[in-house]
Amino acid sequence: MSNPTSWRVRLQILGACVAVTVVLLPLFLMDNDWPVAGRDYLEARGREDTGAINLVSAIYLGYRAFDTLGETIVLLVAVSGTIGIAARAGGAGLAMGYGASDNSARRSGAGAVRDQKMGDGEIFALPDEKRKTHALRTHLLEVVTGKLGPVVLVFGLYVMLYGHLSPGGGFQGGVVIASGIVFLALGSRADSRTGLNKASTLACIEAAAFLLLILVPLSGMFFVGPNGTRGFFANPIAELDVLPAGFIILLNAVIGLKVGAGIGFMCVAMLGKEEKA
Amino acid sequence: MTERLLLLSLFLVGFCGVLANKNIIKKIFGLTLINNAVVILFVLEGARVGQHAPIMEEGIETIVDPIPQALMLTAIVIGVCITALALALAFRLYRNTGTFNIDAIRRKVHDAS
Amino acid sequence: MTVILLLLILILAVYMLCSRDLLHGIIALSAISLLSALLFYLLHAPDVAITEAAVGAGVSTVVFVWAIRLTERKDCDV
Repeated sequence: MSNPTSWRVRLQILGACVAVTVVLLPLFLMDNDWPVAGRDYLEARGREDTGAINLVSAIYLGYRAFDTLGETIVLLVAVSGTIGIAARAGGAGLAMGYGASDNSARRSGAGAVRDQKMGDGEIFALPDEKRKTHALRTHLLEVVTGKLGPVVLVFGLYVMLYGHLSPGGGFQGGVVIASGIVFLALGSRADSRTGLNKASTLACIEAAAFLLLILVPLSGMFFVGPNGTRGFFANPIAELDVLPAGFIILLNAVIGLKVGAGIGFMCVAMLGKEEKA
Repeated sequence: MTERLLLLSLFLVGFCGVLANKNIIKKIFGLTLINNAVVILFVLEGARVGQHAPIMEEGIETIVDPIPQALMLTAIVIGVCITALALALAFRLYRNTGTFNIDAIRRKVHDAS
Repeated sequence: MTVILLLLILILAVYMLCSRDLLHGIIALSAISLLSALLFYLLHAPDVAITEAAVGAGVSTVVFVWAIRLTERKDCDV
């Protein structure tokens, strides 16, 4: 930590830390019992109300599904905000097509020298013929991540779809899928055919999954839920005796696709590879 | 008890990191530390009342409280969204002024206005 | 066990804020996320552990490295 050289500033920082400690110390020293009414109710009734064995999934997809909708909106806003802010900075910030990386934008500032050293889009993938970057660089990264990418994607799909039976669910599976997409993007060579490397495909998947996420709870308003209830996010197949947890599986899949595509899109745009026209 | 005091000191380290550092990236590190400290505190407190993970298989009783875990899932995802936005803003500041040091940025903004 | 992990997290946090090279700080942040994920597993919270491991050690590191890569890597003020 850099110490500021004037004593007044140091004293002010010390005063701020003491104030925060005084405010927070009763919270950290209290000895009350943790209230267990919520835990007892969920332990007794959680499995029958929603059909999920994993109680954390039962909470954020059954009892509190509206908060999950709000959280996916926050993710959408953050991803589009990050790409939007960074794309207008000028110079090679993001992949081609998302950054203003034409030559007229490299006018001044410290970014100009750095852009000319790195070039567009050659930052992670080595061209097959000649290494233009660091002299000691090998192909280890591309080989390992290219081979591990599909394995991580399959694991992400498993975590996403089994969220009601074991630890996992929409968000967890979604971020593991995003990691798998990053692996595939790091390990792809110049002639790869997968569509998951293009940022435009991922943006379309994210938009479609978000649309599904709005439409699926709306179906609860037209069918009758348990105990004759109907409304937004009500479970439409709870009366059908088929599999009441099927609604949770569907919601998990849609949320996982949305989160995975959104974060994967942000990371692929940040990796800065050239897009084939 | 010791765990809670360690978490309080982690919170204060993050807080001092936000206040005392001149580099913007170090300030964002401090924000991430504060987020981590609060998340660990909630999960720690919820784990005091039980002994099993909240997955209702056959014959499991006295589970851990699942409500703080569900809240902390949302908190972690929102924390990483805030970090990504803050870093995009810091990147844009670097492109416009050429430095990460807030004193230099403040001087440049003052000179430009 | 949790006390040991919290002590390690605290030491890594102080190192992260005092390091001169920002890339070392990013690796320390990734190690803090890994230790937090282990801590969540020990506290009987497997869902939070998976989320923290995938988000902290994966996505957050990628975003930080992107911000460092096209700008400066050295913190010139420590």
